[in-house]
Amino acid sequence: MTTLALDISNMFKLDFSGEVIMSLIVMLIICILSVIIFFVFRKKDPTKPDHGFTMVVETAVEKIQNFVVETMGRKYEGFTGYVLTLALYIFLCFFLGITGLPNALISLQVPLSIGLCTFVMIHAVAIHKNKWKYYKRFTSPLAVFLPINLISMWAPLLSLTLRLFGNALSGYIIMSIMYYYLGALSDVIFGGFVAQGLSSIWIAPIITPWLHMYFDLFTGAIQTLVFIVLTMIWISQEDPDESIEENVTLKEELA
Amino acid sequence: MDNGLKYIGAGIAMLGVIGSGIGEGRICAHALDGMARNPEATSSLRGTMILGCAIDETTGIYSLIVAILCLFI
Repeated sequence: MTTLALDISNMFKLDFSGEVIMSLIVMLIICILSVIIFFVFRKKDPTKPDHGFTMVVETAVEKIQNFVVETMGRKYEGFTGYVLTLALYIFLCFFLGITGLPNALISLQVPLSIGLCTFVMIHAVAIHKNKWKYYKRFTSPLAVFLPINLISMWAPLLSLTLRLFGNALSGYIIMSIMYYYLGALSDVIFGGFVAQGLSSIWIAPIITPWLHMYFDLFTGAIQTLVFIVLTMIWISQEDPDESIEENVTLKEELA
Repeated sequence: MDNGLKYIGAGIAMLGVIGSGIGEGRICAHALDGMARNPEATSSLRGTMILGCAIDETTGIYSLIVAILCLFI
């Protein structure tokens, strides 16, 4: 029996390991949140002031809209939805790591898909704004630069993907190692006093919350910020004609 | 022999984080200089410093991914 170069016997079997299920759970949480926000805001009276949940949601959307307008300019205000969805997905993926469940970003497909969304968006905006002059960027200073430019156009995709993947994977590996060795340490210390199954759970809850605070919350917030800032800067750089007076935020306009 | 070479390769791959550490130190040093000269720009400098540190960290993470690839694949 000869061995095939491309083995397709496993091609149509689905993979339901932990990270794939976590990605679906995050998607489910975002869908449920969107539906709840839709129904709450539909029956809210616009003339009355906000309370509680509506105030939180409106403040969040307004802050992100101000951030988008401040970074990209007034005419890119419509990108708020895209940026908010990306930010919510990435932050929620990292945030659910505090429960001990695996992070959805540790399988390479998820950050690659998110990076591909931004990559396609960058080139779509570039083609839309530049039309046929888009192809000038490949022979940019001289025609001999064509191979270098072809390779360097993939650099944003690579850096976005590997940044999320590396942070999530290193956090997950370090937390797994800490949980395992703290359990073994607790077994050694408390093995004589307590029953056999309950002796490994006493030291980890003292030390691991602080590690979760750094690896999940802090890293999640910073990586979200970096991802959306890079997305916005790369998209707004594609515009050939920029004017400075368009960078007015919503508050300044109403004042 | 192959197993030992894997660990040596992972160790050499992690030499790339030296640059990341030096770079982040310089970023924070210049940000502190700016904050000392102009205390009212503190929040804007702090935000840019954190963003710059996170982007600088990426090259260190590339070397981590290469080391993990050496060890496990």
